[in-house]
Amino acid sequence: MKRTSAIVVVTLTTTALALSSCGRDSGAATAATQGKTVSDGKATGSITVWAMGAEGEKLPELAKEFEAANPGVKVNVTAIPWDAAHDKFTTAITANQTPDVAMVGTTWMGEFAGLGALDATPPAIKKDAYFPGAWGTTEVGGTSYGVPWYVETRLVYYRTDLAEKAGITSPPTDWAGLKSMAKAMQDKAGAKWGIGLQAGGTGSWQSVMPFAWSNGAELTKDGGKAYNFNTPEMLEAVKYYQSYFTDGISDKAAPATPTTEPDFVSGKVPMFISGPWEMSAVEKVGGAGFKDKYGVMKMPVKKTSSSFVGGSDLAVFKNTKNRDSAWKFVEWLSKPDVQVKWYKLSTDLPSVKSAWDDPALQQDKKLAEFGKQLETAKAPPSFPTWEQVITSFDTEMEKVTKTGADPAAALKTVQSQAESIGTGQ
Amino acid sequence: MITKRKGHLWLYAVLTVAVVAVIAPFVWMVLGSFKSEGELRQVPPTWLPESASLDNYRQLFSRLDFTTYFTNSIIVAVVVVAGNLLFCSMLGYALALLEFPGKRPLFAVVMATLMIPGVVTFVPLFVLVANAGLINSLPGLILPFLVTPFGVFLMRQFFLGLPRDLLDAGRVDGAGELRIFAQIFLPLAGPALATLGILTFLGSWNNFLWPLVVAQTEDHYTLPVALALYSVGQNSTQYGLLLAGSTVVLAPVLLVFLIFQRRFIEGIATTGIK
Repeated sequence: MKRTSAIVVVTLTTTALALSSCGRDSGAATAATQGKTVSDGKATGSITVWAMGAEGEKLPELAKEFEAANPGVKVNVTAIPWDAAHDKFTTAITANQTPDVAMVGTTWMGEFAGLGALDATPPAIKKDAYFPGAWGTTEVGGTSYGVPWYVETRLVYYRTDLAEKAGITSPPTDWAGLKSMAKAMQDKAGAKWGIGLQAGGTGSWQSVMPFAWSNGAELTKDGGKAYNFNTPEMLEAVKYYQSYFTDGISDKAAPATPTTEPDFVSGKVPMFISGPWEMSAVEKVGGAGFKDKYGVMKMPVKKTSSSFVGGSDLAVFKNTKNRDSAWKFVEWLSKPDVQVKWYKLSTDLPSVKSAWDDPALQQDKKLAEFGKQLETAKAPPSFPTWEQVITSFDTEMEKVTKTGADPAAALKTVQSQAESIGTGQ
Repeated sequence: MITKRKGHLWLYAVLTVAVVAVIAPFVWMVLGSFKSEGELRQVPPTWLPESASLDNYRQLFSRLDFTTYFTNSIIVAVVVVAGNLLFCSMLGYALALLEFPGKRPLFAVVMATLMIPGVVTFVPLFVLVANAGLINSLPGLILPFLVTPFGVFLMRQFFLGLPRDLLDAGRVDGAGELRIFAQIFLPLAGPALATLGILTFLGSWNNFLWPLVVAQTEDHYTLPVALALYSVGQNSTQYGLLLAGSTVVLAPVLLVFLIFQRRFIEGIATTGIK
């Protein structure tokens, strides 16, 4: 009930905004690649910041240091539940009740910027400092509207002890190797399923796309102006993904919310693909000593090794009354040493490349692997219609994995639906 | 005689299954709130906690400023309930028993608003409240819910069922209109008021989206909003915290229901017949 109403609210908000934005200047398309400059000197006045969940809980502690460095500034952080954060943002944008700075999910950037709610990134902020895939999430129609705050990417998790049993001493690096490793887990190490892959459904694109990107697929064409699902590279990746299910290596009937952690610990499913948060999750279930029983590896290479980059961006809203100080706060959060401090506070991975040189991130071998993958990880295009289009992709993937539908036909369907929805720009 | 008893047996069997089906998730929720995150994700799942601990509750109470959220929730719920009892019964009474010009159109308007789902008016309502400068304030959380078309309809239907003669008798005896309403009809409307009160309380207590959107700083959050803060993350959910939070939200509701249980059932029965 709650969910349905939430969806309706969003739709209505978007419609209302789409209607009201007719009179506005369509800044997104014509603006320069970066925004106005920010004044020198210290930040002053008060800044309101919205941040979700644990980030909202821990940010005030870090913000105190910013206040200490800038004596006239007060940072007010409001924590927002993830659950309905998107509704809160869209409603606030409609009623011009936005904060100065906010943490924005990477896949929402296109929508919010498309609504004309975000301020373009000032030129003092240099894009080279960030992981390229993560920076891409801030760019909408060629203009950047914020900076990546923290990142995450997907790697292959595997049980080292069971891999040894299966006769695998060094982790595979290519597609064929990954598949034979998963097969060996089943044949020799007593696993029920070789690798846990999402059998379609919501968010499954995040498991499929790492393979497609590793095969050189691009999600846009015509110079980034249209969706591009129906390509030979995509097809090859989807076929490869499907083969895990047809060969019985992955579970077709895997539940929508899989029991990843317990299955990993018991050895029933000794491999899966997921993000850094799973490290603490499996260790919680596995108990003491489990840390040494598993490893993570980069996505296997086809043409290259790529993965999905997620996380959250920081954006300044156009409505802000304290623009300069707001950007100064964002800039400060992007400093390498502040990013490392934030990692220690929150375990969020730094989006700034040089922060990864810090021993705190280098010592942990698994973390360092995530750092390596981030160099090449990619993000989906920041079209306002992305969430809508990708739903059709997820549905088609469900048919491909569960009922063995033809991947070529599935991609054709996705492409035609994507074209009829349009990019929304 | 025997067949009758057999019928009873069947009835009880079906009822037992239904009761178990309804209650089991709640029992699991309460038991789960004492389990560790590892145990909650175990396959096969356990019923009783292997090593019961209050960790989830401890975390919940130490990370959240509980008194504030609880107070906010209570204030909002109590004022909203009081407002509904007063205004809905007044309007319902007028629409049922008084004669005045424009009565029918007025009732039609009430019915029309009843038929528009709240989500449709959500964003305009928010813009309205924002323009009135009530964002991030308790009035902003309360005002839009002070009177509901459903409540008006419920009360009107109830008053329609009461004998009109009472009104005429009161007038003949020289009682003022307000006195007739307050001293004759309102006391008779007990069951309907109880139903309206409980339904409104539940609605207000569980309301999530409106307080989330209207409250812009944490000190104006209500309980459901605050409890959602840390349990559901971007990529993972902390089930232990979620279950403990749900238990805490549920407790006062359960209490209210237990206290008013008899009136509640009476109210539903009476309003259902009329």
